[in-house]
Amino acid sequence: MKHKAFRQWKERRSRGIQTTLMTAFSVISISIMLILGIVLYARFSALSRGEIIQSTTKLMEQTGESLEDYLISMRQISDAAYYNVIKDSDFSDQEQEIQEGLNLLYEANRDNLRSIAVYNDYGSLMTAEPVAIQKEDPDITRQDWYKQAMDETENMHFSTPHIQNLFDDNSFRYYWVISLSRVVELTTGGDAQQGVLLVDMDYSSISRMMNQLNTMNNGQYYYLCDSNGEIIYHHRQLQLSNGIGSENNQAVADYKEGVYDEVFQGQRRKVIVNAISYTGWKLVGVIPYSAFTHGMVNIRYFIIMLTLLMAMMLVFINRVVSVRISRPILKLNHSVMEYEAGKKPEIYIGGSREIRYLGYSIRSSYEQIQELMRKILWEQNERRKSELDALQSQINPHFLYNTLDSITWMIEGGRNDEAAYMITQLARLFRISLSGGRTIISVADELQHAKCYMNIQKVRYKDSFDVTFETDPEVERCCVVKLILQPILENAINYGISGMDDCGRIKVSGALKDGKVFLTVEDNGIGIPREEVELLLTDGSRVHKKGSGVGLVNVNNRLQILFGKEYGLRVESEPDEGTRVIICIPAIPYNEENRRLLENGRLP
Amino acid sequence: MKNNSKKIFILTEAVLAVLVIVTAIAMAGEWNGQKRGRVSVIVRNSDNSQWSAFKYGLRMAAEDLEMEMFVVSTAEQMSVEEQEELIQWEIDNHVDAVIVQPLPGEEAARMLESVGDQIPLMLLEYGIPKEAGENGLPVVGPDHEAMGRALAEELLKDYQGDLQGKTLGILAESEESEAVRNREKGFLDAIEGKGGTVLWSLYEGGETRDQILAGQEETDFVIALDNASLISAGASSSSNDLHGALVYGIGNSTEAVYYLDVGSVECLVVPDEFSMGYESLNEVAEKLSSFSGTMENQTVSYTVIRREMIFTEENQELLFAMNQ
Repeated sequence: MKHKAFRQWKERRSRGIQTTLMTAFSVISISIMLILGIVLYARFSALSRGEIIQSTTKLMEQTGESLEDYLISMRQISDAAYYNVIKDSDFSDQEQEIQEGLNLLYEANRDNLRSIAVYNDYGSLMTAEPVAIQKEDPDITRQDWYKQAMDETENMHFSTPHIQNLFDDNSFRYYWVISLSRVVELTTGGDAQQGVLLVDMDYSSISRMMNQLNTMNNGQYYYLCDSNGEIIYHHRQLQLSNGIGSENNQAVADYKEGVYDEVFQGQRRKVIVNAISYTGWKLVGVIPYSAFTHGMVNIRYFIIMLTLLMAMMLVFINRVVSVRISRPILKLNHSVMEYEAGKKPEIYIGGSREIRYLGYSIRSSYEQIQELMRKILWEQNERRKSELDALQSQINPHFLYNTLDSITWMIEGGRNDEAAYMITQLARLFRISLSGGRTIISVADELQHAKCYMNIQKVRYKDSFDVTFETDPEVERCCVVKLILQPILENAINYGISGMDDCGRIKVSGALKDGKVFLTVEDNGIGIPREEVELLLTDGSRVHKKGSGVGLVNVNNRLQILFGKEYGLRVESEPDEGTRVIICIPAIPYNEENRRLLENGRLP
Repeated sequence: MKNNSKKIFILTEAVLAVLVIVTAIAMAGEWNGQKRGRVSVIVRNSDNSQWSAFKYGLRMAAEDLEMEMFVVSTAEQMSVEEQEELIQWEIDNHVDAVIVQPLPGEEAARMLESVGDQIPLMLLEYGIPKEAGENGLPVVGPDHEAMGRALAEELLKDYQGDLQGKTLGILAESEESEAVRNREKGFLDAIEGKGGTVLWSLYEGGETRDQILAGQEETDFVIALDNASLISAGASSSSNDLHGALVYGIGNSTEAVYYLDVGSVECLVVPDEFSMGYESLNEVAEKLSSFSGTMENQTVSYTVIRREMIFTEENQELLFAMNQ
């Protein structure tokens, strides 16, 4: 398993140079780009988060200032009502003036005010603006704003929002107000007594300010609570009281002004607290962490798309670069492969200096190899030729010696006609033997050569044997290596029939079968023992008892050198019955072209 | 080898191109910033103050759920044909769902059932009587029978559970209304055997109601079963046209609270209209956000308010919603 995995790994490793280059370039460039993208995004996110917090803080400061201004103006109204209208006036005889004074104040600030009222220390209404019927039993002394004022007489008190439950204006409406109450000194008939001045601010002014702040739709919101964490304004006020939502306002009660990180109901969020002067109220901005990315979803998509497009571009550029770098190497490789497959001998030269040098070097190596191969082939041919020549030259001197010896004996014996005949046959024999230096001749010429030879031998042996030639005319038009019949005939005479008492017979026949030429020399001589037959064609070093010693081995070698190992001689012999030597060669028509090819050691 | 490299290149580029397209589509979707759905609300007399808390609940839910919601402006009286026409108009305007207050009667029920096949439909206050095996259209509303029962219990509480010799008159806008029928049933069931006698039941709406009411036989109590009837009874009581009868009723407007505040009404049962608005849109949003989502029936709570409890913190919030 381990080896297999290693092999697969190695196979994967041995991918092409272009793929390797492209993969490497792409991986490096895309990695750098991704890291850069992530770092940039993280940096941008951090900056953007800081920016959001900063802008939120600024916005809250501005709103806080507006709220403070509003509350100051309410305090100023309260101060004006007290110091300018109530304090120096006596309710017993100056009620009209007090009413007018309060009316002026109310009319000047009616957009933000719901009512101004003065109650004595029993909770009875002294005066109010706008003038309205007081409800039957509002029980002032039990209302929070009254109790707060009476509890801490030296301070002004802002209540949480509540429904004003004082007057009946027949409008069927209930107004939400924030009460500003303070203890005042009332004079009635010259007697000073404590009372409470109530300025009811219209809650809608504050809620309007807060609504303007709460226009973000990214989950970010602002609310207002008092120092105890009681909510004064929350854009989801009813959802909170109905249990649909919840707020961490009780924890905020402990927060000082500043920026806090908190986890509320599994949600991480930034809480910015801005304290409102005089009241102890807190303006709270809540930014869930999801809000930081809310506006950035598009930016995130944009960065992803940009990254993808850049990756596409980089892959394309990497491809172009890798193709450009690897193309000359690939072309060189391709040309080498084609060269090796024997298709195209041209080696590619191109590309950079190094690759060109490599190309030149490979081309030069191949040219050298080619030259060497040619040389080796030539040398082999030459060696074969010289081998053939040597074999042929082994035949000729021996025969010539015997024949000339016979002619000498004839002349000496006065048998001039026979000697002349012998010389004529010898001349014809040599003409064919020479054949203008050719090795390949037609079967007809070879037969003619054999006939001349046999004619000479017959004279020498005094017609002690008969020779017959029977060949197909088609066979005579085929190619053959010259001087192959002569040694066989010589053997037939020397070993077959020379020692016979009866008349010997030698038959030379030629036949064409299955694209092969079969030339057969058979005699009716004494035959050869079976064990010797097997050695005839294999043992060239045997010492011959008779003849030149150039035997069948030579003929067989010559045939096999030229035509191949499947051709050559076959010897069949039975003692006292005779011997048959069969020459098997391919049937190649004799013409100049085939002759040349055979001469050069190639088969047509 | 060369082909392999080319294949890898083409494949990589194709994969990256597909990712670019997917991102572009996501980006385009983000830019379009479509709300989660458009919902139309059809209630009778939509500008009446009784719907203030309900509409505030709808508005809050629309903000929370990022939906587009609008209340169709309607008159006090509406026929089935008019309601069908309005719903069809809204469907033609490609709303995703309709929240509708059903009109009384079988014809209206048939119409709504047929419309319910075309578009998600959420009913308000009360549903359509179901055939056996039918699921019916979803409804968000209070338990009317329980409200009627609660009203009766308050009356009984005031008289130690004994109404012997006491007479009652029942006032409602429409007898056909499923809500009124259930409230009446709950009330009558609760006072059964307590000795009270219902002298009359007046089912009357419109401008003539006050006159007819003043002409009714004198009773000890007038039981108003809907907001309009309660306001009418409260007004009559404050102008001493009820011959001293004490008014107990169900209502959900600042007028109703006012009459309680000034003592013209003894006891008020207020359905949580804010939750009705919020929950109805919430159910619709859930339906629209999932392909196979179904809308469930939702029962909202109610509050019993006596005069001395009007300005408690909890009830102030009820008034806050009614004031919006």
